[in-house]
Amino acid sequence: MLRVSATTTNTEINLQGIAGDQAAAAEGIEFGAELIGFAEALALRDETALREARTVLRAAAGEAVLVDAAGVAGNFQRMVRIADSVGIPVDDMQGELGQGVRQELALEQFRSAENSLNPVS
Amino acid sequence: MAFDYGSSVRTDIGDAHKIYWQTLTKPGNWFTSAQRIAIAAASREAIDCVFCAARKTALSPYTMKGEHDSQVDLPPLVLDAVHRIITDQTRITKHYIDSNEQDGLSKPAYVELVGVVVAMFSIDEFHRAMGLPLEVLPESGAGEPDHYQPKQAVIGTGFVPMISPEGTTGQEADLWRRGRTANVVRALSLVPNAVRDWVALSNAQYLSFEGMSNFTQPEGRSINRMQIELVAGRVSAINECFY
Repeated sequence: MLRVSATTTNTEINLQGIAGDQAAAAEGIEFGAELIGFAEALALRDETALREARTVLRAAAGEAVLVDAAGVAGNFQRMVRIADSVGIPVDDMQGELGQGVRQELALEQFRSAENSLNPVS
Repeated sequence: MAFDYGSSVRTDIGDAHKIYWQTLTKPGNWFTSAQRIAIAAASREAIDCVFCAARKTALSPYTMKGEHDSQVDLPPLVLDAVHRIITDQTRITKHYIDSNEQDGLSKPAYVELVGVVVAMFSIDEFHRAMGLPLEVLPESGAGEPDHYQPKQAVIGTGFVPMISPEGTTGQEADLWRRGRTANVVRALSLVPNAVRDWVALSNAQYLSFEGMSNFTQPEGRSINRMQIELVAGRVSAINECFY
């Protein structure tokens, strides 16, 4: 979805932001570094880092951005668990865009890749 | 009042969370309200469960024996499923779910349980992200589960039966536009209300189905789609979610 939105808006981005590279996250995305610092601290359950990241994001981008980012982060803490708890495969493994993203981010190393690479039937 | 966030939080987020809390006060299709609230409470306990932490580092999560840290009254199979979904979801297998079914945790009950756990978790995580205290769980309501399951749910995708993309007919006609959906939407469709709950939460926390088709600046959001997907992608990557 990040790649699609970047293509749609004709924006050069660096997908390594998804992998945790803060400088990469900032390429083409306003507050990119602050946003992934916040998302990362939440998902890693690092409460000290989360307090700091919240302060940094709020100061840089404002309360409304913090709220929206918190909503999205909470939402995806849910979505990943839905996907893995019932073992759903990726909808379109053949799509060129998806293949490129999975390759660039080396997603096939994840344990849950099995649900898409060797789906049960 | 529950979820009274004040003016700094969009009202649709507070409203969605309130509505979800109300669903916990009613029986589901497979659990009573008291059981659903116990599942919600267990999802909170899982975070600090010592056994879960040890099992997370084990080579195989299915050979290690032990007891979960818990004060709630739930059957061991149910409690274990709740804790796995929170702490070690990438290693859940079809074999685990099939074995649970043989031991008394049916697939529809498992799907309802997943629905409660993930909805709760998303609300609690929003609070944690914002630095807010967790909301007190509601008092349970009366009533018995009706054991409803949609006849059109079929085996074929993932570990549990689901409604096919074209299967949104009859009482399930509202779940998604017939023929146009994704596996993550269908995932919990063995318990249609679990889909309705997650869609309602997602509309506020993330985007509506209509909003998802806007790849520039979704209406009502202070962050653009790239910023939204950057946060979504980083959270998913840390959770090692291939999907």
